[in-house]
Amino acid sequence: MSYLAPSEFVVKMVDAGESKIFMSTKDTVIRAYMAGAILALAAWMAVTINTQLGIPLVAAAFFPIGFCMLYLLGFDLLTGVFVLCPLAVLDRRPGCTWGGVGRNWALVFIGNFAGALTVAFFAAIVCTFGFSTDPDKVGQTLGNIGVARTLGYEKYGAAGMMTLFIRGMLCNWMVSTGVVGAMISTNVSGKIMAMWMPIFLFFYMVFEHSVVNMFLFPAALMMHGAFSIKDYFIWNEIPTALGNLVGGLAFTGLTLYATHVRTSPKRVP
Amino acid sequence: MPRQLNISIGQHSDKGRKDANQDFHGAMIPAEPARSLKGIALALADGISSSAVGRDAAESAVGSFLADYYCTSDSWSVKTSAQRVIAAANSWLHAQTRRSRHAYERDRGYVCTLTVMVLKSRTAHLFHVGDCRVYRLVGQALEQLTEDHRVVASSQENWLGRALGMNGQVEIDYRAVPIEQGDVLVMATDGVYEHVSDRFVVQAIAEEAADLDRAAQRIVAKALENGSPDNLTLQIVRVDELPDGEAVEVLTQSTELPLPPLLEPRALFDGYRIVREIHGSARSHAYLAVDSGDESLVVLKIPSIELRQDPAYLRRFMMEEWVARRLDNAHVLKVREPNRARRFLYVATEYIEGQTLTQWMIDHPRPALDTVRDIVGQIATGLQAFHRKEMLHQDLRPENVMIDRTGTVKIIDFGSTRVSGIAEADPAAGRADAILGTVQYTAPEYFLGEAGTTRSDLFSLGVIAYQMLTGNLPYGARMARTRSRSEQRKVAYVPAAGEGRDLPAWVDGALRKAVHPDPLKRYAELSEFVHDLRRPNAEVLDANPAPLLERNPLLFWKSLSLALAVALLLLLAFHFDLGR
Repeated sequence: MSYLAPSEFVVKMVDAGESKIFMSTKDTVIRAYMAGAILALAAWMAVTINTQLGIPLVAAAFFPIGFCMLYLLGFDLLTGVFVLCPLAVLDRRPGCTWGGVGRNWALVFIGNFAGALTVAFFAAIVCTFGFSTDPDKVGQTLGNIGVARTLGYEKYGAAGMMTLFIRGMLCNWMVSTGVVGAMISTNVSGKIMAMWMPIFLFFYMVFEHSVVNMFLFPAALMMHGAFSIKDYFIWNEIPTALGNLVGGLAFTGLTLYATHVRTSPKRVP
Repeated sequence: MPRQLNISIGQHSDKGRKDANQDFHGAMIPAEPARSLKGIALALADGISSSAVGRDAAESAVGSFLADYYCTSDSWSVKTSAQRVIAAANSWLHAQTRRSRHAYERDRGYVCTLTVMVLKSRTAHLFHVGDCRVYRLVGQALEQLTEDHRVVASSQENWLGRALGMNGQVEIDYRAVPIEQGDVLVMATDGVYEHVSDRFVVQAIAEEAADLDRAAQRIVAKALENGSPDNLTLQIVRVDELPDGEAVEVLTQSTELPLPPLLEPRALFDGYRIVREIHGSARSHAYLAVDSGDESLVVLKIPSIELRQDPAYLRRFMMEEWVARRLDNAHVLKVREPNRARRFLYVATEYIEGQTLTQWMIDHPRPALDTVRDIVGQIATGLQAFHRKEMLHQDLRPENVMIDRTGTVKIIDFGSTRVSGIAEADPAAGRADAILGTVQYTAPEYFLGEAGTTRSDLFSLGVIAYQMLTGNLPYGARMARTRSRSEQRKVAYVPAAGEGRDLPAWVDGALRKAVHPDPLKRYAELSEFVHDLRRPNAEVLDANPAPLLERNPLLFWKSLSLALAVALLLLLAFHFDLGR
């Protein structure tokens, strides 16, 4: 597997962030929509595997398929742009402002959400024969997940909120490492390998991914999950997104940027 | 000492019975290493007699071929190099015709035939457009190696079917002929070959073997004597010595140079000692190095690992070297003439001791207007050198402009340059990649998928001038997000003169015109822009806004339709009222 020198891929990361700020609204939304939908499909598959086999390890081992597909097709996840876009502003690229970053995040959020919601709706139809029966096993599992990961946190109040936030941080630390890994390698097999490892880790450890959750919870609600939309946003989506933002930026974006772009002089012994 | 290619040449040209000699010929026998790497070149052109500028066309075709051919990258084959050089010369001639008074009269424009022979190692490469001929002497006869591109209407009437400068694109015949020691090749215009017998030519060459120029003179004189009405030009080549077999091996390799590894400081690389890395990105790596031959400082540029698998990128990478060597301008980076054969794919250029314009802008956040004028003027001079050769830079941005200690400004990167007439140089296919990271300076027409013009380079220069004065972009990030003309029309220009900056309104007017979203509304020439930055131009200050039809055609037609509808309703109302 051939790979790039650090000086090449960090400049590439900044370039990628810059190009996202300059991307037209249409392209941004379409790419985000497709990314959200493909990731949702993979999450649905993982839940199905888990229901059938009852072995979370197998589900986690196959979940990265979705991530690989959407990355290779050039689609954008909120977790990815959280890390890449701010780098262009920090690098003082002309025309890159925090306003532009915020616009990109908002558009990608909307796109991801719409994509994931579409798949959630399809999943609800498939699991209930067009809302004419009670949810099948997969549907029930989805509903249970929804309850466990909203009301489950709410039970512990502020401590639950902190747990949720930390899980979000850990998640995007891993996911953005996958994005960077894909940039380092120069061929398709290498890219897939580099993405597989951190995504596998995050999914097995049940860290909170804002885009995966955009599928899980709406699907759970449609399949009679016993929680409200307000519960979903306050006790999952918003803290998860913030955790994703902080984790990805702090542990991946800024560290690589600080050590490979803004290099300190080497110490002379 | 290994043997090298050696030839004898005899040439003669005469205007004959005509008033002017519209033929032009030339030969280039370079010293080593160019002789092994690029070969020996002969060129013969015949300007069309119906045109007053036929002679100029022939002269520039031969002259530019002989100069440009030796500027091409060592990694290109003879065929690729010569075809690209001829294609570029064709575009240039065609453009001259279009600009002249006779834009639509092909027979009065810059049109000529061109026949080129390149002798390299043990092969003669022939490139041919038009009706000159190349012969090989076989025993006592002449074997014609080229085909005349003539359309014959009758025994009296015929005209050129193909010629240089006739169209935007030209089809070039190519043929490679193996050569042996002692081979004789003859290139002649129609004024000669139509009026002397093969036997006479063979005899003259045999008798004047010691001085081929005399042989050429005798043949031309004989043709004139036989009543040739045209200009007469003849070139004779005799192969005296061929290079060793081993040398041939080395040479054939040069078309596919291996890619160099990433280099480390203090490493020795192909005769250079690496000092340090200057720049590294996903596009290329540049190193400061010392030439171990003459201890001079050079910059070595090598392809990045990221793009090594991309053949289009590698083609452009080598194109860049040719582009740079075609240009000789104080404001364009100079590529070093190779003084030895290369063993890897890289480009060696002069080292500019200075900083990029990006860094300069950080160091000088509020530069004096005069300094900006000076820098913009120098970049414009460099760009004009591109435009004069029918080339577009296409990727002008502050990172690609260097300012040295004397304040001289140079354009340094030519990776996206489009050479007119050469398809490979057109990055349109990989456009999405090509604009990555430089969208701020890319002219709006590129976002619509349109081809660029010299006005697109002007846009980039205008944005740079604006950025130097204000620190911002004239349209922020919004222009790069547009995908249609109507969207582009709506993007508002942020006046440079605002926000407490002390900038004359006419300078702002000049900037606004230079970065106009519609290429046709920009300046036609770079020089006009540079001039308007120095002297107030009442035109750009025109306070009258553009008519509504131009600013917002949709609104114009909507309002017009509304007015008509109202008028119609009123008429109807009156009509029924009166009828009652």
